[in-house]
Amino acid sequence: MNKQLFEKSNKLERWTLFVDFIAIVIYISLFLILFKLLELPEVVNGSMDLDILQYMEPIYQFLGSTLDKWQMNTIISLSVVFTIVAVPMFFINLKKVKIRTIYEVDSYVAGSKFFQGIINLLSFNPISAGLRIYNMFILVKFVKGYDAKEFLKSIVPAVKAYFKRLFTKKVKENTEGLDEYSLSIKTSIRRQNAANALRLLFTYIFLVFMALIIIIPFYWMIITSLKDFSGATTATPKFFISISRMNWVNYKVVLTELNFGLYIRNTVIVALFSTAGTILTTVLAAYAFARIEFKGREILFSILIMTMMIPGELYIITNFITVSKNGFGWVGMPTGENNYFLAMILPFVTSISYIFFLRQSFKQVPESLYKAARVDGCSDLKFLMRVMVPIASPTIFTITILNVFGSWNAYIWPRIITGVGGQEGQAYWLISNALRDTAFVLDNGRVMYNLQIAASTLVTVPLLVVFFMFRKYIMNGIGRSGTKG
Amino acid sequence: MANLKNSVIAFFGKILNAIKTFFWNVRRLFTNIKNRFGDFLDKHNINFVTRFPNWAKALLYLSPALIVLMVFTFYPIINSFALVVYQNYNMTTETVTGYTIFGNFITVLTDESFIVPASHTASSAVINTLIIVFISVPISVLLALFIAAALNTIKPLKSFFQTIYFLPYVTNTIAIGLVFAYMFRTDGGLVNQFLGLFGVNVEGLSWVESGAVYWRSMFVLIFYSIWSTLAFKIMVFLTSIQGIDKQYYQAAAIDATPRGRIFSKITVPLISPMIFYILVTSVIGAFKIYNSIVALFGVSGAPAGVDYNLQSIVMYIYQFIDGSNAGNLSVAAAGSLILFAIILVLTLVQMQASKRRVHY
Repeated sequence: MNKQLFEKSNKLERWTLFVDFIAIVIYISLFLILFKLLELPEVVNGSMDLDILQYMEPIYQFLGSTLDKWQMNTIISLSVVFTIVAVPMFFINLKKVKIRTIYEVDSYVAGSKFFQGIINLLSFNPISAGLRIYNMFILVKFVKGYDAKEFLKSIVPAVKAYFKRLFTKKVKENTEGLDEYSLSIKTSIRRQNAANALRLLFTYIFLVFMALIIIIPFYWMIITSLKDFSGATTATPKFFISISRMNWVNYKVVLTELNFGLYIRNTVIVALFSTAGTILTTVLAAYAFARIEFKGREILFSILIMTMMIPGELYIITNFITVSKNGFGWVGMPTGENNYFLAMILPFVTSISYIFFLRQSFKQVPESLYKAARVDGCSDLKFLMRVMVPIASPTIFTITILNVFGSWNAYIWPRIITGVGGQEGQAYWLISNALRDTAFVLDNGRVMYNLQIAASTLVTVPLLVVFFMFRKYIMNGIGRSGTKG
Repeated sequence: MANLKNSVIAFFGKILNAIKTFFWNVRRLFTNIKNRFGDFLDKHNINFVTRFPNWAKALLYLSPALIVLMVFTFYPIINSFALVVYQNYNMTTETVTGYTIFGNFITVLTDESFIVPASHTASSAVINTLIIVFISVPISVLLALFIAAALNTIKPLKSFFQTIYFLPYVTNTIAIGLVFAYMFRTDGGLVNQFLGLFGVNVEGLSWVESGAVYWRSMFVLIFYSIWSTLAFKIMVFLTSIQGIDKQYYQAAAIDATPRGRIFSKITVPLISPMIFYILVTSVIGAFKIYNSIVALFGVSGAPAGVDYNLQSIVMYIYQFIDGSNAGNLSVAAAGSLILFAIILVLTLVQMQASKRRVHY
């Protein structure tokens, strides 16, 4: 073990990550700058003339060079693809460099460095690529003891030997000296192996088929959102489009002209506040149900559990009366006196199912810990904040994400609330009802399917990004929530 | 020069010391007050930690949640029973013309689009909902069970498949519903294009647009509801299958038990509590289907220019809040109580069945 080499490799890896980070910043800022430059159709009579969107041929000036529409699309698409490749790679490597020890380095690490270097080269990041490949040579020296020259020389014979092994026929087993019984066992084992392999094949075919059914709507959504109008409505839509034909301007139209920027902002506000409220109330209530002994605790808890069975429509009817004119007066008032956000947030700042879910994980904390804390003079609130919350933090995190998803997908309540407000209420739409109720129809009766699907993509992609960031937390949380309920 | 430097340092040191002393004095003062207060409490035998009653503490912790629940959960339950007995309740003026016990229920039950198909249409809310429940729930539960069992037998690519199958769970129902509607378009829809590859005559074969036959639009709806609910079931089944003790499988492997029998005699019985739980929740979920219909067919719940309606029970209720019949909230309350009764009965039946059948 040559410790110096390992440390040198680690140092180099940190520098590579730094270069990677700069590259990511460049990709993202390139995307944002070019996206900002994209030209929209002119505004006529207060609304954009979306009919001519696909026939526009604007010329852009960027860094002293002239770009036409297709070159612009190509550069934006490339920057998006590079970002999608570089960001996960960066975070995975960051995690690895933090936890890697000297004993975990083997030739696979060196191989992966090589492949990552090639990916860097393909995404126009030669500095990272050079550093990675240099790092590979160091790791090869560390693992195998070869110098760079010897290593390059040894590649050709190794490949030759590999192919030689691959193409030499297997020697047939000698079966002459065996009796009848062991022969029959041999054939039955062979038959079983064949059957197993066949079953595995069918399992994989089944799984791939189902996965295709799941994944195709997503793929179709992303592809369609980048097509122009005639590409999205032709009788024979294409399954692939080249990167120069990706109309990123669709997203700009959806964000600005169709006001989706505003709706996303509204949704983020509602999601943030209702989630903060939910976490606060559910943590306190779950603690009371899990730790504090008081009369009627079980009865109160079972009443709460029973209300979970009641359909939400029942609440919505009365809640609508409660928040409107004769109740709190948050909606349905004259223009300017309404408070749509309060009406959308407050009914959802607590959740019985999350109280139930959290109580289960609070109950797993041993009682003796609580008693020991009390002996040391720790108050209940301190115990909750210092002991319970850190122990149950995975559950709390899962609840946070699920609640944010819930607010992001809320449809019926925001629709009812903003529906009574007319023109004023429209400024408070959340994305789900904006998606359904925005008219994607032009004056001449054309349905702008590409814009509609682009709006859908805009709504879906943040969810997918959050999901891929916290994949393990979310999936484990869902699996466990089912097991416990 | 050095002299000056030293004196400056000494000066700042003095200031720092003065500040430190001040804070220590304040702290000492507070400790003193605290100790005196504690002495006083001890003298009169009062101890907040032990004497503060538990119910008061619990109330303190429960109050934020309980206040919200009171206003937005418990009050609506009580109020809906009040709403049901009103006749011609007017929301804006808060006036009623009279009181009735079963009148609103009868209005709902005899309404021509609730149970009985209306004369000009060929479907009703209850029939639609029952069709969705009894077709989509068994198919999705079986499919999820098979996928979970298949996922459990493979090793390479397992987490990759798991991630893909989980994707529908984290999406917006409305957004993907719009994509489905786009995929099932008559001219240039992906599905029609695909069917055309197999020689099916797709000319005018409409699914969600005008001219769609009832069963075709119902097929799209059921397909979409299965697609979007599969993820949760697969995850839950997979988690519970992974929790089964490996010894059962090892014993079966020694006896060379066929795979089919291992599945039906070990896997399914051992996760049967989970299967029943999923059955209950997905039946309830399917009864409450709303967003998928709105996403696919719009707020009217029907493709353009057809003589039927794909309304579900929930959709029927919502039309009294904001829709064609807005304002008559008593009928909506009656409808939601009927929905609650259906769900309650189903849950009780399934709980009874699970007590007898489920292996524990």
